Amino acid sequence: MSHGHDDVAVRAAALESLLVEKGLVSTDAIDAVVDLYENDVGPQNGARVVARAWVDDAYRERLRANGAAAIAELGYGGFEGDTMVIVENTPGVHNVIVCTLCSCYPWPVLGLPPSWYKSSAYRARVVAEPRAVLSEFGLTLDPGVEVRVWDSTAEVRYLVVPMRPEGTESLSEDELAELVTRDSMVGTGVALPAGERGA
Amino acid sequence: MGGMHGFGSVVVPGCDEAYEEQWEVRTFAMSTIVGIEGIGKGGGRPIREEMEPQHYLHASYYERWLWSTEERLLRKGSIAPGEVDAWVERLLAGEPVAQRLDPGQATRDRSAISETSPLEPAVECRFSIGDRVRVRRWRHEGHTRCPRYVRGCEGVVGAVRGADNLPDIGPYQGPVEPVYSVSFGSEDLFGPSDEGRWTVLLDLFETYLEPT
Repeated sequence: MSHGHDDVAVRAAALESLLVEKGLVSTDAIDAVVDLYENDVGPQNGARVVARAWVDDAYRERLRANGAAAIAELGYGGFEGDTMVIVENTPGVHNVIVCTLCSCYPWPVLGLPPSWYKSSAYRARVVAEPRAVLSEFGLTLDPGVEVRVWDSTAEVRYLVVPMRPEGTESLSEDELAELVTRDSMVGTGVALPAGERGA
Repeated sequence: MGGMHGFGSVVVPGCDEAYEEQWEVRTFAMSTIVGIEGIGKGGGRPIREEMEPQHYLHASYYERWLWSTEERLLRKGSIAPGEVDAWVERLLAGEPVAQRLDPGQATRDRSAISETSPLEPAVECRFSIGDRVRVRRWRHEGHTRCPRYVRGCEGVVGAVRGADNLPDIGPYQGPVEPVYSVSFGSEDLFGPSDEGRWTVLLDLFETYLEPT
């Protein structure tokens, strides 16, 4: 008994009405959670973590040792970020993240996952043909680069630290954060070149 | 779904957004609040896997979340069968969505989301970093965090991530045991490929593994 698209929207509103009527859930509690993920929790947080790692070697070491604790230094943490492992891209290694079993994703640093991350196509294919999938995102890696695909099968969540773009020595940490895209922290992209800030 | 064929392109129009419509993110919020407030029974993740397989594959992402949220509330007895249907009829008859404010709950739920509970350290690990291991072949009934595409395959332990309850019992109420990062060569999982070789790494519970 699959529902049509509009039927599902009505059913969601019906469940909300029922929970509100029963006094179990309030309208403003739902609004608060929506607001949190629409405004406060998103890839802008992960970008701050990456930019700090680019400019501060001691911070990068703390990220390697205990990802969640180092991320908490910047004020980020919570659901789906309890145990964080960072994986660092280098000239010889490119990392990419997936959850083939469901949609595990590091919410505190990246927010809610985009539709493609949750799609059957991504979940099925990126472990079995990663270069083909990356090419759909416009990312073609040198044949000598080792691709590492991290399947988030337990309670560890991953954050890719992309390589710092060339020619960014003079940029501030804030300016560097603007180069760090969501996709570069999942591994389906790379950081923007210097000069494309805020794109 | 790792390794399945036939799903087509990953990058399709509209794929870059987390959701398209407000009901989707409100469903996400309701699911989260049900957990925080303790008004549901069971976890959304394993319950979503109880959907009839054809329904699961046809349903949109947040339709699955809506289904699991209803199920959790029903199993706890917080709502009764037919009550959501009754509200569907009321909305279709023109009644507005019910509203009620509770600033205390809003504050409580929002702050609960920021709480973290890292994995506890592993003790008494059967395997060490560098060990070659094989993923047990089995056909587990119910929830598991061991994907089919690695079963029977050999890999190498790269790290001990910590210890956690085995998800397969309960679910998520099994004994606390070590969780390992295990790396696999692509040829050991999928055979030769035009793409050459790559590495796939999974976090696997000790129960899933056996020595080679």
